[in-house]
Amino acid sequence: MKLSLNEVTALAAKAARGAGAPPAQAAEFGRAAARHLAAERDAQDLAEALTALPSGPILHLPLMVMRLAEEVADGQARAGIPRPQMTDLLRSYLDAQPCAIVSEGVGDTFEITLNLGDPAAPPPRARAEVPEDLFIRMTDLAARILVPESEASRRSGAGAGLTDND
Amino acid sequence: MKDSLGIPQAPLRGPDEVMRLARMGAMFPTRLSFLRSLMRRLAAEQVRVARPVWDICDEGFGHAVYTLTLGGHAYALVAVSTDLPAEMRTDRVIAEAWDTSYVLYDGIPDADEIARIRATAPKQEAARFTERDLILSRANKSVRLFAHVVDALRRGQQPDPELIRRIGYLMRTTAVYGNGKFGIADRALIADRPGLEGPFAAEMLTVWLIRHFTHDLVEHVGRGRLNRRLKRHLGIGNATGLGMAPFLVNHPVLLNNWMTARETALARVRVIQRLDPEQQARLVALSDRAARHLDDWNVPDPVHQARIDRLRRDWADARRRFDFGAPRALDGVMRQVATGSHDLQELTVAMILEPFGDLVDDLAGNMGDRTGPLCGAIRTVEALRQQTEKTFAWALAPDYAAPEHCGQFWYVSEAKQEPRLGLRFEEPGAELESPLDIGRRIKALHAALDGVTGTVSAFLDDAPEHALAVSRVQMATAYPYAEIRDNLIATSCLPIDMLRCKLSFFGASKFDPKSDRWTRITLCQGAPLADELDRDADDWWLPVFGA
Repeated sequence: MKLSLNEVTALAAKAARGAGAPPAQAAEFGRAAARHLAAERDAQDLAEALTALPSGPILHLPLMVMRLAEEVADGQARAGIPRPQMTDLLRSYLDAQPCAIVSEGVGDTFEITLNLGDPAAPPPRARAEVPEDLFIRMTDLAARILVPESEASRRSGAGAGLTDND
Repeated sequence: MKDSLGIPQAPLRGPDEVMRLARMGAMFPTRLSFLRSLMRRLAAEQVRVARPVWDICDEGFGHAVYTLTLGGHAYALVAVSTDLPAEMRTDRVIAEAWDTSYVLYDGIPDADEIARIRATAPKQEAARFTERDLILSRANKSVRLFAHVVDALRRGQQPDPELIRRIGYLMRTTAVYGNGKFGIADRALIADRPGLEGPFAAEMLTVWLIRHFTHDLVEHVGRGRLNRRLKRHLGIGNATGLGMAPFLVNHPVLLNNWMTARETALARVRVIQRLDPEQQARLVALSDRAARHLDDWNVPDPVHQARIDRLRRDWADARRRFDFGAPRALDGVMRQVATGSHDLQELTVAMILEPFGDLVDDLAGNMGDRTGPLCGAIRTVEALRQQTEKTFAWALAPDYAAPEHCGQFWYVSEAKQEPRLGLRFEEPGAELESPLDIGRRIKALHAALDGVTGTVSAFLDDAPEHALAVSRVQMATAYPYAEIRDNLIATSCLPIDMLRCKLSFFGASKFDPKSDRWTRITLCQGAPLADELDRDADDWWLPVFGA
C-alpha cells in the first residue's frame, strides 16, 4: 500500500519501539525506513531489522553513524568501515542524516564522507510503497505501545469536554 | 553586542529564564506569529481569493471551493457542510462527525477531485487522502452565535454586537492536520514553496480560508450581509487538547528556532537608543489597545479569570509608568516589568515588538527547520558529562523517585492513537510511557556516566537506553532554546502551558482554558478579510472589538 513518508516514519518508529528498541533508535529507524522505501530498497531489510530487536541493525547502525560523527574535524569526517550485512539499510540511515553524506562500497569496506556544513533536507517525494505484510507487521508491533482505554483515561486523559453545543 | 547580521542587540534572555513552563504558559501572540507572517505575505502579493464553486442549499449544506494563487502556485480550499445532529457535536478530537470539513488542495480541483473530497473530507481520519490534499480540517458551529446571526440577518438586522464580542467566532476547528497524516501531502513536498516555507503556513492559510467560508455561510443562510466591522471581529475558534503538547518535545529544533527568533527580536528592540515621537505614540496606542483587549477577554474558568483580572490591574499600573521618551526606553520598560508576573512580562514583550517590523520581521524567515539537529557529536564521555552538568542543572535537581516528581506519565491511547496524560499511581499503562520524560532521562544518563571513560559511542554500545538523553545533551549548545526546562512528568506539570506557548506562535488569542489540558482559542480575530489585503493588513495584534 502507498503511504506518505511521514506515515512510514511514524509507523516504523512506533513498530521499533513496540519491538523493544529504545526511543531514539526507534525514531532513527523510522526516518531511515521512510528513506529506504522511498528509494525502493528491499523492504525485507526493515522486517529483518525489526525481527533482530532487541539487538541488530536498529541498535548498531546509529552507532556506526555516531562513530563517524565523533571523528568530525572542521565540519568533515571520512572513514572506511567494514561493509555491514545490510548495506542498503546503512545507506538509508545515511540518507536520513541532516547533513550531506556520501557513501561508496569499495570491496569489503564502505567509504563514507560526512559534511556537517552541508545541510540535507528530505527530498520531495510523494509516496512510498509498503508491502502489505510489512505494513501489517509494523502495525501489530506499533500497537504494543498503545495503552488501552480505562474509565480513568476516558474521564481525564485528553481532558476535553464531551459536547460542543454552545 | 552585534549578531552575525550586524544588527545591534542586547543580550538574549537565557533559556533558564525563558524555557520554563510558567513563562511559556503566559506567552502572547507577536508580529512573528505564523498567522501574522502569512497575512503580510498574502498582502505583499495582493492575493485574490475567488469562489468558483458555491453549491450550498438554503439551510447551509453542500460544498464550496475557494481558490487563490500564492508564490506562483494555485491552491484551493474545498469546504463541505453537512447536517450534524446535536448529540454528535463534540470538541474532542475523537469525534466522528462534524458540521463542516475541509481540504486545502494543491492546485485547482476538477469535478472528479471535488467529488472525491466531498466523499472523503467528512470522514476525516477514517478516510485516505492523496498528495494533492495538503491540509485536512474540520469545524463545528458555535451553535448559539451561528443561530443568532442567522436569525438576525433573516430579520434584516445585524446581530447583537455584545454576543459577537463575547464569543468571537462562528465555528471552531477541532483538528487541522498536515504533514502526511492519513495520506495527505508530506510537508517536504511544499516546504520550499514561496509563501508556505514558514512553519504551519499551510495550516494557517487553511484556517484563514475556513474563517472566510464561515462568514459566507452565515450570510448565505441568513440571506443578508454582515456588517464589515462585525465580520472582521469574527475569527475562527479552535479547541486544542493534549495532542499538541508532545510536539514541542519531539521537535526541539523547531522550538529552539521559534524561541530564538522571538528572543532575538526582543534583544533588537531593547537597544533602540531613542524612539521618535511617532513610535512613542504608537506604543501608547498599543498599550491602550492591550488594556481594552484584556477587558474583552473573559473566561468561565475562575482560576484563569483571576489571572486575567490581575493582569488587567498590573497592566494598568505598568503602562502608567512606561516612559517611551527615555533613552533606551524599551529596555527600561522590560526592566520595569521584570519583577511583575510572567503574564505582565510576556504581554510587554509582545507589545514592544509590534511597531518595529522593519527591525524584526526578517527573523520570521529563521523559524523553520528543514533538516533536524545539525550539530557536531560530543566525542568523549567526560565532555558529555561536563555538558550535561553545564546545561541540564534543571534536570539533575529533582528526585524522580519521589511521587510528586513522577506523578504523571504521557502515553498514546489505543482507542484513537492520540497522546494522553495519566496519573502514574492511579491509572494503568505507565509501563508503556511515551519518552517525554526528558529530565528524568538526563538524570539517569548522568548517573550512568559515573566512572565511565572513552567515547560516547562506546558508552551507548553498552547502554543503548541512554541514546535519547545523549542526543538532547549533544544539541544543547547549538540549540539552547530546544528544551523545556521543567519536569514534564511532575504532578505540577500543566500541559496547558505547552499548548499556550505553541498556540501563541500560531497567533492565537483569547485563551479560554477548559481544564489544565485543553483550551479554546480564537485565531484570525481582527485579521484582514479576503477583500482587505490591499489595505493595512498587519495591524491586528490583540484585536479589540469595534476598533
